[in-house]
Amino acid sequence: MKIMKILLIVAGFFVLGLSVHAQETPSVDEIIDRTNKAAYYAGDDGRSKVMMTITDAQGRAREREFNILRHDVSDGGEQFFYVYFQKPSDVRKMAFLVHKHIDRDDDRWLYLPALDLVKRIAASDKRTSFVGSHFFYEDVSGRGVAEDSHEIVEVTDEYFVIKNIPKNPGNVEFASYTVWIDKNTYMPMKAEYVDKSGNKYREVEALEVMEIQGFPTVTKSRVRDLAEGGETVSKFMDIEYNIGLDENIFTERYLRRPPREAR
Amino acid sequence: MHTGSRLIQVSIKHPKLITLLMIVVTIILGFMTIKVEVDTDPENMLSEDEAVRVFHNRMKKEFDLNDVVVLGIVNEEHPEGVFNPVTLKHVQELTEFVWGLSDPDDPDRRVVTRNLIAPGNVDTIEQAGLGQVRFEWLMKEAPETQEGAIKIRNSAMDNPLLKGTLVSEDGKAIGIYIPITAKDFAYDVRKRLIEKIETLDKSNGDHFYCTGLPVAEDTFGVEMFVQMAVSAPLAMLAIFVLMLIFFKKVKLIISPMIIAIVSVICTMGLLIGTGNTLHIMSSMIPIFLMPIAVVDSIHILSEFYDAYKENHNRKQTIEHAMDELFRPMLFTSLTSSAGFASLALTPIPPVQVFGVFVAFGIMLAWLLTIFFIPAYVMMLSEKGLAGMGVPKQIKKDGRGSMISRFLRYLSGFTYRHAKLIISLTFITLLIAVYGITQIRINDNPVKWFKKNHPIREADTVLNRHFGGTYEAYLILESSEQEMTTDMTVKWIKDEIHELSGTLSSPLVIPEALESLNRLIKDDISMDQLIDSLMETWEGKQDLADNDEYDAWSEVLDILGRLENRGQVFKRPDVLYYVDTLQDHLLTSGVVGKSNSITNVVKKVHQELFEGNPDYYRVPDSVPAVAQCLISYQNSHKPNDLFHLVTPDYQKANIWIQMKTGDNKDMEAVVRSVNEFMVSNPPPVALSHKWAGLTYLNIVWQDKMVTGMLKSFLGSFVVVLVLMTFLFQSPSWGLIAMVPLSVTIALIYGIIGMVGKDYDMPVAVLSSLTLGMAIDFAIHFLERSRMVFSKTGTWEAAIKEMFEEPGRAIARNVIVIAVGFTPLLAAPLVPYITVGVFLASIMALSGIGTLLILPSLITILQSMLFRKLKGVKT
Repeated sequence: MKIMKILLIVAGFFVLGLSVHAQETPSVDEIIDRTNKAAYYAGDDGRSKVMMTITDAQGRAREREFNILRHDVSDGGEQFFYVYFQKPSDVRKMAFLVHKHIDRDDDRWLYLPALDLVKRIAASDKRTSFVGSHFFYEDVSGRGVAEDSHEIVEVTDEYFVIKNIPKNPGNVEFASYTVWIDKNTYMPMKAEYVDKSGNKYREVEALEVMEIQGFPTVTKSRVRDLAEGGETVSKFMDIEYNIGLDENIFTERYLRRPPREAR
Repeated sequence: MHTGSRLIQVSIKHPKLITLLMIVVTIILGFMTIKVEVDTDPENMLSEDEAVRVFHNRMKKEFDLNDVVVLGIVNEEHPEGVFNPVTLKHVQELTEFVWGLSDPDDPDRRVVTRNLIAPGNVDTIEQAGLGQVRFEWLMKEAPETQEGAIKIRNSAMDNPLLKGTLVSEDGKAIGIYIPITAKDFAYDVRKRLIEKIETLDKSNGDHFYCTGLPVAEDTFGVEMFVQMAVSAPLAMLAIFVLMLIFFKKVKLIISPMIIAIVSVICTMGLLIGTGNTLHIMSSMIPIFLMPIAVVDSIHILSEFYDAYKENHNRKQTIEHAMDELFRPMLFTSLTSSAGFASLALTPIPPVQVFGVFVAFGIMLAWLLTIFFIPAYVMMLSEKGLAGMGVPKQIKKDGRGSMISRFLRYLSGFTYRHAKLIISLTFITLLIAVYGITQIRINDNPVKWFKKNHPIREADTVLNRHFGGTYEAYLILESSEQEMTTDMTVKWIKDEIHELSGTLSSPLVIPEALESLNRLIKDDISMDQLIDSLMETWEGKQDLADNDEYDAWSEVLDILGRLENRGQVFKRPDVLYYVDTLQDHLLTSGVVGKSNSITNVVKKVHQELFEGNPDYYRVPDSVPAVAQCLISYQNSHKPNDLFHLVTPDYQKANIWIQMKTGDNKDMEAVVRSVNEFMVSNPPPVALSHKWAGLTYLNIVWQDKMVTGMLKSFLGSFVVVLVLMTFLFQSPSWGLIAMVPLSVTIALIYGIIGMVGKDYDMPVAVLSSLTLGMAIDFAIHFLERSRMVFSKTGTWEAAIKEMFEEPGRAIARNVIVIAVGFTPLLAAPLVPYITVGVFLASIMALSGIGTLLILPSLITILQSMLFRKLKGVKT
C-alpha cells in the first residue's frame, strides 16, 4: 500500500510538472480502475465514524450514526465491511456485515439485537436504500466496474467526465450515470443519474475531500433526490487507515459481539 | 294605485332606447363570461380556511398522500384470474403509460410517480431461500410464463399490505392506484387511460374500470357543463313551445324568452366578472333563474292576452296589466329573492355565491319585466297583435279552453267543499310530517351518475373485488404531556436504579448517579441537562474497558429512551392498540381494509422469522419494533413507511379503504371509531382526527343541512314579514304562507317516504320551493282582494278569481313544470332531481294555491274581509 501512496505522490508531481504541456489522457479503463481503487480501496483497511442526516422533501431530518470498518482482501477485489449502529438509540448494537464479491452477489448479514436475530439479506439487488437514507447499498460498497460500459465524454481542466451505461439495464433504475473524476486524486467528485426518459433525477456529490494519512478521503458527501426532493448528507469522522483489522472480525459470530474497533 | 302605469311611461315613450340600453348592458356583462374559471371541486364547498380542510391538506402533506385515480383490471375468464402473462403484460403496459403522465400545458398537474401503487412500483419483502430475506419489486417485468404469474400472485397474497388493495382476494382483479397532484387532473387521466385501453387486445377477457372520488368529482364537473349547455336551452325551447300553445303569438312570447336569457347572461357575467369561479353550485344558476325569470312575464302576458281584446289598444292594455300586477310582481320577486339571498347565511361559500347571484338575477328579471315588456309591446304594431285574446262571447258562454272550463269548475268546487279540502289538506300534512321524520340525509358524488354510467359501473365492480375505492385517513396523534426538568431527573434516576443487578459492571451505577447530581443546577434546561449528561457519560464510556463499556451503553440507552419517549408509534402496546382498532373497523361492514404501521411491523417481523405465520405479530419491545422498521427501510421505497407514520413517530395514519362513499356510511364509521376510543382508552393519550375526501364530504354535507335549515327558517320569517306588510294584515300574511308550507311539507314528506336521499340538490331546492310557492299565493291573494273590493262579496269574487288570475297561475304551473322535463333525460342524477322537483314544486304549489287558498278564504271570509271592507268602504 505504501507503493500506492508513493505512486500517488509521484503522480502528483508528475501532473504538476507537466501541467503546462498537453497532458495525455489515460484510457477509460485505467481511469475507472484508478477511481475505483481511490474511492473504495484506500489503505488495506480502514475505519470511520459516520453521521448521516436524512432530510425528506418536507425538510424533516432524521439522524443515523454508525461506525464502519473495512478490510480489503485484495486491492480492487474482494472486500469486507462491518457497520455498527450507535444511533438512533433503539437500533444501537445493530450490525451489518457485507462480504463484497466481484464475480458473484455479495453476502450480507444483518444482526438485530432486540430480536436476537442474525439474518442473511439477499443482495441480488444492491440498489435498495441503505437504512432509509438516499444512499444505496451500492453507494456504500461501490458498484462493480464491470457492470457498466464506460466512455469519456469530456476532459476538463479538473475532471475526467465519464458516462456509464449499464450492461444489464433491467437490473437498475437508471439509464446511465455520469461521473466527474478529479484528475489529480482520481476521486469521483460528482455522479449524476439519468432515468429512462432522460431526466436527471439523482445526484451524488463529494462535498469535502481531505487527505488523511496520505489518502485523499471524502469526509462529507451528499445524495440528492432531484425528482422528489430530499437529501442525505454523510459526514465521516475519526478516519483511520491501515489499522491492522483482524479478518476474523468480519464473520457472522462477531455480529452478536461487536469488536472493540467497531464501537 | 297607478304605480305600475306611471313607472312604465318611460318604456312606452322610449321603447327603443330601453331596448338598446338592455342590449348594451347584456353585451358588456356577456363579455365578462369569457374569463370564466371553472371549479368542479366539491372540496370547495368548505372554505379554504375551514379547520377540517386545513387539517386534511396538512395531513396530505405530512404523510405525502395524494388524491387517487383507481384503475382496475379484472379477468374472470382465465382460471388464474388476472395472474396470467397476457393480463400482467397489460398491467405493465398501463403502468408504464401512467408513469410520469402529466398535463403538457401545466406540468404541475401530473401523476405522482413515486406514490404510484402498481405491481411494478411496489416493493415486497419475501423469503429468498437459505434463510435469506429479500426486498424485491413485486413485478419488475411482466412474466413470460404462467409460473411466473403465479409467483407474483403468491407474493402479493402473502403481503397483507397489498392483499385487498393491489390484488383482490379472489385473484381476479389488480388495482393500480394512480396518485395525482391535482384533483382536476383526474378527468384527463381517465380519458387518456380509456384511449390507451382502446388500443389493447382484450380478447383474453380483460376488463378495465376507472373510478375513485376524484374521477367522479372531476368527471361530474366536465359532464355538468356539457349538461348545462344542453339542458338549459332544451328547457328554454320547451317553455317556448308551451307558451306558443297558450298565447299563439310568437312575437309576444319572445319577450319572456329574452328576459330569461338576458337575466341569465347578466347574472353569469356579473358572477364571473366579480372574480367568482364557476362551481357546481353556480352552474345551476341558469336552471334556477329561468323559470323564475319567465314567471312574471307570463303573468303580464296572460293579463295582456286576456285584456287586449277589451280595448285593442296595446298602450292601455299594458298600463292596465302593470297596474294590476305591479304590487304582486314586486312582492313575488322580493320574496323569491329573499329566499335565495338567505342562502348567504349558510357556512358554505359556493352556496352563498349561488344564493346571492340568484337573488340578484331575480330582481334583475323583475326590473326587465317592468321596463322591457312594455317597451317590447310598444314596438309591436297593433296589427301584429290583432286577433289576440279570448273572445268575450266564449267567455260568457262558459266555454273556452280546457283550462278555463276546469278552473271554472274548480271555483265552485272550492266554494262548496271548502271544509273538505281543508280537512284533506290536514290529513295530507300529517302524512307529510311522518315522511319528513323518515328523511335520510346522505350523498355520494359517485351516485351523481346514473347506474349505467361507466364510473358507477366501475365503482360497483371494483368495490366488489377490493377492500374499497373510497379512502379515508384516521390520524392518531400522541397528546402526551411534556415532562418538566424535575420529572425528567426523577425519571432518569428511576431508570438508572432499574439497571442495578443487570449490569456487568455495577460500579457504573453510582458513577452515573453522581455525574447526574453534579449536573443538576437550578437554572439548567432539560435539553442542556441531557446534552451535558450525554457528553459526560460518553466520555466515561470512551475510557472504559469491555465490561464497563457495555454497562455505560446501557446507561446511555436511558437517554436514548428519554429522547424517544415521544415516539409513541414505536411502542408495542400502542401498535397493538392500533391493531385492535383496525379489527374493530372491519366490523363496520363498510370498511373493507385498512393499512397502518402495525401491518408493516407485523409483516417485517414475520419475514425476518422465515415467513412463519406465528410471527405475524408486533414484537414486544420498542427496539425490536424500531429494528423491524429500519429493516423495512432497506427496501427500494423506504419512504413508503412515512405514508403511515411521521418520522418523529408521534402521528400515525390508518389508511382506510371503504366499499361505499355514502356519507351515511362514512358517518357510521366515524361514530364507531369514537365509541371504540371511548370504551377502549388507548395506552397513551391519543387524539384522533379524520382526513380524506370521503370524510370531507360528510363535513360539508353537515354544514349544508344545518345551514340550509337555518337559512330556510330565516327566509320563512322574512317572507312572512313581507307578506304581513304587503297585505297590511297578519292574518292575510299567515294565509299566504299556507300553500308554500304545504308544498314544502309534501315535497320533503315524499322524499322521506320514497327513500330518496336528502342530498345536495335536494337541500338547495328548499329555497327554490319557498320562492316559487309564495309567488302564486301572492298573485292569488292580491288579486282576490282587488276583485273583492270590486264585487263586494267573496262568492262573486271567487268566480272572477278563477278567470284571468286563475288562468295565469295555471299557465305558469304548466309552462314551468313541463318546461323542465328535458332535465329528466339528463345522465346526471342531480339534474334529474332538479327536473322532478321543479315539476313537483310547480304542481303542488299551484294546486295548493288554487285549492287551499280559496277554501281557506271561504271558511275565514267573515274574518278576512271584515277589515278589508272597513278600509274600502
